[in-house]
Amino acid sequence: MDILDPTVILLIFAGLYMAWNIGANDLANSMGTSVGSGALSIKQVIIIAGVFEFAGAIFFGKRVTSTIAKGIVPIDSINLIDPHLVAIGMLAAILAAGFWITLATFYNLPVSTTHSIVGAVLGFGLIAAFQGIIGYGDINWFILAKIVVSWLVSPLLGAAIAFIIFSLIRYFILQKAYDPYNIEKKFVFLQILTACYIAFAHGSNDVANAVGPIYAGLSSLNLVGESIPIWVMLVGGIGMVIGLGTWGYRVIETIGTKITELTPTRGFSAEFATASVVVFHSYSSLPISTTHTLVGSVIGVGLAGGLAAVDLSVIGKIVVSWVITVPVAALTSALIFLGLIGVGL
Amino acid sequence: MIKKEYIRSVLDIFASSPFKPLGMHASKGGEAVRKLNEAVIAYCDGNAQRVEELSQEIDVIEHEADVLKQTIRSELSSSIMLPVHASDLLDFLKPQDSISDVAQEVSYWFTLREFNASDEVRQSLLDLMDKVLETVEVYEELVSTISELLEASFSKRDVEETLSLVIKVEEMEHQVDVAEKELMRKVFQQEDNIGGTGVYHLARLVDGIGDIADKAEHAADRLRTMVIRR
Repeated sequence: MDILDPTVILLIFAGLYMAWNIGANDLANSMGTSVGSGALSIKQVIIIAGVFEFAGAIFFGKRVTSTIAKGIVPIDSINLIDPHLVAIGMLAAILAAGFWITLATFYNLPVSTTHSIVGAVLGFGLIAAFQGIIGYGDINWFILAKIVVSWLVSPLLGAAIAFIIFSLIRYFILQKAYDPYNIEKKFVFLQILTACYIAFAHGSNDVANAVGPIYAGLSSLNLVGESIPIWVMLVGGIGMVIGLGTWGYRVIETIGTKITELTPTRGFSAEFATASVVVFHSYSSLPISTTHTLVGSVIGVGLAGGLAAVDLSVIGKIVVSWVITVPVAALTSALIFLGLIGVGL
Repeated sequence: MIKKEYIRSVLDIFASSPFKPLGMHASKGGEAVRKLNEAVIAYCDGNAQRVEELSQEIDVIEHEADVLKQTIRSELSSSIMLPVHASDLLDFLKPQDSISDVAQEVSYWFTLREFNASDEVRQSLLDLMDKVLETVEVYEELVSTISELLEASFSKRDVEETLSLVIKVEEMEHQVDVAEKELMRKVFQQEDNIGGTGVYHLARLVDGIGDIADKAEHAADRLRTMVIRR
């Protein structure tokens, strides 16, 4: 088996497509707030996002990548039976997640790439168990439960931290200042730093959604060693930056022009909270949704009295998208897996 | 047609702020009262045609204010979180909307009958209108402080500044009340001169003009509740 195996090539291309999606949409979402508050121009945001997203993926993305690749489904036990199955299963997972994400983007649903890939990988595990390749008990339900809990906790944590940060800014700076508009100007610089921070955080967590399955496939085919090779992370990093450059700038533009409420002090609070929560989860090897965490953080700023109007109906939409995404991605992934096996890949 | 954006985004979380249209709505009230002031001057000069024109202009302004009011109300669904209670905001919007409503009604009454009372009444009527306009203009200034309140997220100093303007509006409204009572007495002394109909007409005008300041005072009071109870 070599690197030019059709399964491997498909896997890498599917991973690139996933990375492209993440860069085009999710990264753009996290960066749009910096443009919205007027801290940075679109060009500057794209350069910053590109550099730091890449850095986050390469230097801090391996833990979550391992979780997606090996944490949920016991690929090593499947390997013992047939290494090819893992590669095909991971290809099915990434295709299913990519398909669901494309559909969600088309219909403007707040679906997370993280939830999609976790659901899709789980779908592969379940179909493997269904076919008797592994036992249902072999799927790592404990890690899965931890991941799902982290999806609930991360937006709440974002809200709490953003609430505290903005309350401190409000109490110690805004309310003491004679000219609050002048304070905003001073926060522009800080917001440039948090833009770097959030791009780094995003790269460190979301790169796994694209490269986790690639790594799992390659590792089962013995094409890579025990540790994740740098070139696999590069594929993810490059894919995301291309996504940002070819499509994401439009998303940033849209978001930036519509979010004018988020002045630098508010934007700083929301972004700093989001980035911290995401980096913490990357460190804990847990894949979470940066976008949903950002929504939580914005609500936190709103609760601290920082925003003129926040529409909480988004929370309902996000909850619905969770509940739908995991089963849909799992089912699609299982069906694609059966299809791929059927055509004899 | 709106261009479809293919994005999954956080945008929906940001609702449009009701405070901007709220400020515009307050300015519509001020605009209507400024026109009314012109109408009173024209009326006292006996320029019926100008009074008619101004009355029509006020109709337009009042309608624009109504549209703004409807926009604010329709965008405040129950899922919108504001830094103040939404019910307080709506309670405050209502009397603010009455400012242009009453201005419209009074301007219509000006078109119904010509002025034929004494010069003293004429001067007092102009003075009363002056005081009312001044009250409404302070009220507009009061509403404009909301944007600063939001910017510094309701700092103590800004809240105090806003509250001091509320008190100023209330004091001015009180002066309007005093002037109104005095003028009303003068109007009724004119009965032999201008007849019962004339007295009734002038009394309606005086009452209506005074009512505008009442509405401004009422709105200012509601605004205080909104700011304090947040």
